[in-house]
Amino acid sequence: MEWMTTKNEPGKTYLMQGNEAIVRGALEAGVHFASSYPGSPSAQVLGIMGRIADQMGFYAEWSTNETTALQACMGASFANARSICVVKQNGLLVQADTIHCGALGGIKGGLVIVTSDDPDAHSSTNEFDSRHMAVTANIPMLEPASVQEAKDMIPYAFELSEKLEQMVLIRVTTRICHGRGGVELGELPEKRPFEPIGKWDRMIGMNWLHSFLLEKLDRAKEEFEHSPFNHYIGKEDAETLIITGGTGMKYALEAIDELKAGDSTGVLSLGTLWPLPEKLIMKHLEKAKKVLIVEEVDPFLEEHIAAIAGKSGLKLKICGRSDILPKIGELNPDVVIKALGEFLGVEEKSCCGSGCPAVESVTIPDRELTFCAGCPHRATFFILKQALRRHKNPGVVFGDIGCYAMAPQRAGQFGVHFMSCMGSGISAASGLGQLTKYGFGQAVVSVCGDSTFFHTVIPGLIAAKMNDANILHIVLDNSATAMTGFQPHPGTGETAMGQTAEKISIKAICEAIGCRVETADPFDVKETMDLIYEMTQESGIKVLILEQPCATLAAKTRKKKKIWVDTDICRSDSCGCDRYCSRVWGCPANIWDFEKGCAAIDEVVCVGCGVCAKLCPAGAIKVEGGDE
Amino acid sequence: MFSILELERKVVATELCTNCGSCQGMCPYWKSEKGRTFVDYECDRNEGRCKYFCPRMPADLDALRKKFFADEDYLPEIGPFRGLYLTQAADSEIRKNAQHGGTMTALIKLALEEGFIDSAVLSKASEENGTLNPEGCLVSDPADVIKCSGSSFQIPNSMAVLNKALDEGKFSRIGVVGTPCKTLAAYKMKSKPFAENDNNADNIGMVFGLFCGWGLDWEGMAKFGEAAHVDILPGKYHRMDADDKQIDLDEVLPLVRENCKYCYDMTAEFADLSVGGARSAEGWDVDKKWNQLIIRSKKGEELFKLAVEKGILNVRDFGGNGTEGALAKLKAASESKKSKAVKAIAEKTGTADNLLYLEPSRDIFGKYL
Repeated sequence: MEWMTTKNEPGKTYLMQGNEAIVRGALEAGVHFASSYPGSPSAQVLGIMGRIADQMGFYAEWSTNETTALQACMGASFANARSICVVKQNGLLVQADTIHCGALGGIKGGLVIVTSDDPDAHSSTNEFDSRHMAVTANIPMLEPASVQEAKDMIPYAFELSEKLEQMVLIRVTTRICHGRGGVELGELPEKRPFEPIGKWDRMIGMNWLHSFLLEKLDRAKEEFEHSPFNHYIGKEDAETLIITGGTGMKYALEAIDELKAGDSTGVLSLGTLWPLPEKLIMKHLEKAKKVLIVEEVDPFLEEHIAAIAGKSGLKLKICGRSDILPKIGELNPDVVIKALGEFLGVEEKSCCGSGCPAVESVTIPDRELTFCAGCPHRATFFILKQALRRHKNPGVVFGDIGCYAMAPQRAGQFGVHFMSCMGSGISAASGLGQLTKYGFGQAVVSVCGDSTFFHTVIPGLIAAKMNDANILHIVLDNSATAMTGFQPHPGTGETAMGQTAEKISIKAICEAIGCRVETADPFDVKETMDLIYEMTQESGIKVLILEQPCATLAAKTRKKKKIWVDTDICRSDSCGCDRYCSRVWGCPANIWDFEKGCAAIDEVVCVGCGVCAKLCPAGAIKVEGGDE
Repeated sequence: MFSILELERKVVATELCTNCGSCQGMCPYWKSEKGRTFVDYECDRNEGRCKYFCPRMPADLDALRKKFFADEDYLPEIGPFRGLYLTQAADSEIRKNAQHGGTMTALIKLALEEGFIDSAVLSKASEENGTLNPEGCLVSDPADVIKCSGSSFQIPNSMAVLNKALDEGKFSRIGVVGTPCKTLAAYKMKSKPFAENDNNADNIGMVFGLFCGWGLDWEGMAKFGEAAHVDILPGKYHRMDADDKQIDLDEVLPLVRENCKYCYDMTAEFADLSVGGARSAEGWDVDKKWNQLIIRSKKGEELFKLAVEKGILNVRDFGGNGTEGALAKLKAASESKKSKAVKAIAEKTGTADNLLYLEPSRDIFGKYL
């Protein structure tokens, strides 16, 4: 849908996804440079920008990690280019050092970081609240309340960034990124030319600039007192005040409507979240008797507003996510209606939320997250667990971040013992692996995906080699950044803008580091299992690259094999099988035919990898035709 | 409880598991590696062949014996008994690589040639590591039997090979050669304890037992390196020989498999024939070329007689106090193992009231407490 983002039709309204609105905002700001490492929920932003970059005359790239992406933006900013860096909340944390040092040095051309938070961690391992980063780094931060604002805030942020000579953070959440709304387009400006770097131009982050950093923040505060992104809706001088940040505004308005509380309440929707516009906030607090704060994840506004009220000696009841709203997870209309009802002392009359008989009568079967049919990761973790169980003291597996982050669950046979952040598996494994020299008696294995390998694994691998850790590191090379939607990475041989790039070989890197490197195919079940078993018995650092393309990619190019079950041979749930394919192997395409009481293949789901045929104890699963 | 969990708890966790392989070869769940039996994925059936076939799951051993052996042949010290002989293979080629006299190798070869059995489950040195990593194998050509002679002093999971062969149904008179734990499992299988699936147990042909004092841990065996031939010398030498290497038994005994301490059976009481090392009046120089052979069943007797008739086996006198004296020594040695095992089990459980797998046979074993 990227065509909408490129239309030069000021005043016209299109229904856009939040991620598209962010792209449009960047175009309306005359962006020169965009860099990112993919992360949900904002992974589409740079994907779209890469596809339209040539046409719209700017540069876009996928970087190897979030910090390299931000540093690239800082370099472009030096020539007065406008740069945008798009990350998810974990990515922002990866950037922490760069942001803190970079904020001291300041910028030249506008630099905007868009960070997408994932309340409830729908596609993350955590629901970290990005807003805290603005406070510690002393940089301005905005958060849109609607898809329209997600677009409008970008040019505003660039203007502000250049005015202050400081990077600006925009925090969005899943419901903005993936939600849709009407977006009225603005003008697409002429591109501003670059400026040469003058004899005394500097971007140097040193502590003697600390006071300038704070001064910039004070100027931002002044600016925010009059920002168009802070609105007041509802009864003037209301004694019952709701203050919202970001999407909290929509939830609050819906709750007020549902509880018919519009006559008595006012809503202050804040878009400039750091530094907070204290005067504006005080103006409303002074009239209020009680305040409910509606925001995503942490009680960020709640605590800072309570501090503002407290410093001014106001006596107010301030509620929010520290008490009547849930302390964790994503907001939804139900919980906000319930909390507002409690806050107002009004009985909740909702008939469309939890407790409503119509809703309660619908039963949805539980479905756990799992690997797709034909996913090479399923084979890898199946094999890995078997290989490690062959050890007298079964081995330990350190996971990492990617689709295979599902491996600690049933999808990966509960075969992963440790998982933290991107790049952590190799280094944590290396630490434990060192203890094998001092009597620790279990084999240590770490895994990472191909994209994660380039992201943060390489330094860990070098450290492991340098210190001669006893570990096996397995690279799950599925030739894709699969989790976030197949973005190019250094090993795929293409760039964000669709150009061909020289593929960077993971094998060559590992060999250059000095590791023993083997490659194998996870679909060669027996051979690969024996290889893992052998490699885990050898001391030192070994790397095994398991090559098999992501099933979603492979399904597009390979001729599909036909897989079927010979029901005469199938041992079904009898002694000797006990539904090994559907119950243990667990591929979504291996199903159980309740009528016949035997195994079956869901032909719609099956991609024809044929691994189940290799595992069937009776040889009842047959494979016909197709490509290898 | 899941069958697999019951077996894990009662046999693997208690260190009774002998790695015989009786639970393996029938399903994708039970595996063996370097003498250790384990499960990688769990089966959720409550009833399965594995727990019924395991020789270390509780069973009434007296009732099992009565099913297959004549009561009048029973000697409480060494099990069913129809004769004791000192024998060796007549063929010197067999004797060259075999354990002691090569009696077992000669008998299996003959049994295959004469149709007593149509195949045999044996174990042999692995192609990669020699005696370090022996494995079970199925042999149907009499000429291949000789490749499996000699002892590894380990317990490879050869019963998995039997189970697989029974399951495949290609052979209908499969001979089984094994240590006492394995031959007991073979008779458990023959008794068809699991109505739903007997794993074609009728296709088990004859059962050939090997005397066994204990087996070594895989890692323990690594001490000897690759060796073509390993033997334990009689008591007074107190050492173990592997080719030209010699190791004091004090060094070897700590490497004995834990489960062997709980084994009551030295002479493989469940078998048609049992073969072991000779202990004659003349000492080791003579004994190392001979075997003791116990005949336990009519079928075993038939094979033995044919072997003598055809000149396949040489038979000689025990010397000294003759067969009676040899039998008395054998009984004493066998009872000593029973007594040690029963006491070790009681010590393990911490109570004389729980004899684990021997509990249903308390009438036989209670006296050793």
